[in-house]
Amino acid sequence: MAKRWTCVEAGCSWAVVTPDSESAVRAAQEHIATVHGSFELEEMIEDVLEDVDDS
Amino acid sequence: MAVSDPTVTSRFHFSREMIAGPIYRKYEKAIRKMWSVEDIDFGRDALDWERITPEQRTGLLGVTVRFLAGEQAVTDELVPMLAAAHRLRRFDWTMFLSTFLMEEAKHAEFFMRWHERVVGVLDPEEVAAHFLVRGTTVDPTGRFTVRDVMYEALPDYGGRLMEATHSGTDAEVERAFVQFSAAYNAFVEGVLTMPSYEIVIDTTERWDAFPALNRGFRLILSDEGRHITFGTMACRILLEKDPSYEEAVHEVFDAYRGNIVGLVEYQKAVPDLDLDKYQNMKVRHYRNRCREMGIAPDETLIEQILDPSIDFVVGVEAG
Repeated sequence: MAKRWTCVEAGCSWAVVTPDSESAVRAAQEHIATVHGSFELEEMIEDVLEDVDDS
Repeated sequence: MAVSDPTVTSRFHFSREMIAGPIYRKYEKAIRKMWSVEDIDFGRDALDWERITPEQRTGLLGVTVRFLAGEQAVTDELVPMLAAAHRLRRFDWTMFLSTFLMEEAKHAEFFMRWHERVVGVLDPEEVAAHFLVRGTTVDPTGRFTVRDVMYEALPDYGGRLMEATHSGTDAEVERAFVQFSAAYNAFVEGVLTMPSYEIVIDTTERWDAFPALNRGFRLILSDEGRHITFGTMACRILLEKDPSYEEAVHEVFDAYRGNIVGLVEYQKAVPDLDLDKYQNMKVRHYRNRCREMGIAPDETLIEQILDPSIDFVVGVEAG
């Protein structure tokens, strides 16, 4: 099942869909670091991933 | 196969469903990710302490002493959650909380060792002189009250949870658990403290100093990610049973609103930091905690965090 993560930083609604949780965590952490100069912890990303139908 | 005796069956708590569940997986991860304070070398930090200016020492110590006290407080205040997990017959929560309590004690140990080996202070009277007291902060507009969430909210909500655990109904225990977890995991650990971790990490990188402090903060944060999301996931599980508990979460955030909308003292104690960054990330963490719990965020609170006219600083120097 593909996964979607959406950024909730003030003024941001960037979203990414990835094939699995691990790549969603990597994409989310890269976004937070490069765009917001900050970091997001693994569990905080994993626990809010949404399932996306990839059929 | 013999028919099970329920009194014997009740002595066993593991199930296939439980060990495949999200809380048990957090327990397993905690065991895999174990680290030790004794593996951290404080030598370079001690040399850095000697070379920084008196102003830099005051700014940094204001933050680290607050963490030294805070980690001791959260270690001391976790017992009500363990008692409630037992009362609610959630053995996976009890197992996870055993790692949670040990890790909070280890975080306190890390700060104790850093202050002892780098700054040369350890006894209560030595460190207390550097403690930033939050209760005396006044919002000049008079709109917000700043209360000491660590030393008021945690014992208060913890006391209510213990009382419910001893003599309340299951629903009363669950409601008290949600309020305690909202205060402890979502508010204190999950929103209020997150910018402070990042301020210390940013400061050590900006000064190119204190690698042990930087390393310790990163290790502690990796533990906190599990603690925070345990609390918010437990709340989500209970909220799915009874959605009326959502109001209990908002009550907690509302009671301590002033602490979140004001600037953290560290934002102004360390020069040259981007103050907007930390207010923006408070919003992200608040929205994330609400998303993890499955509740709607209070948009008024978000507007107030981002309002540049609300710029009073939470915390003034002791003495």
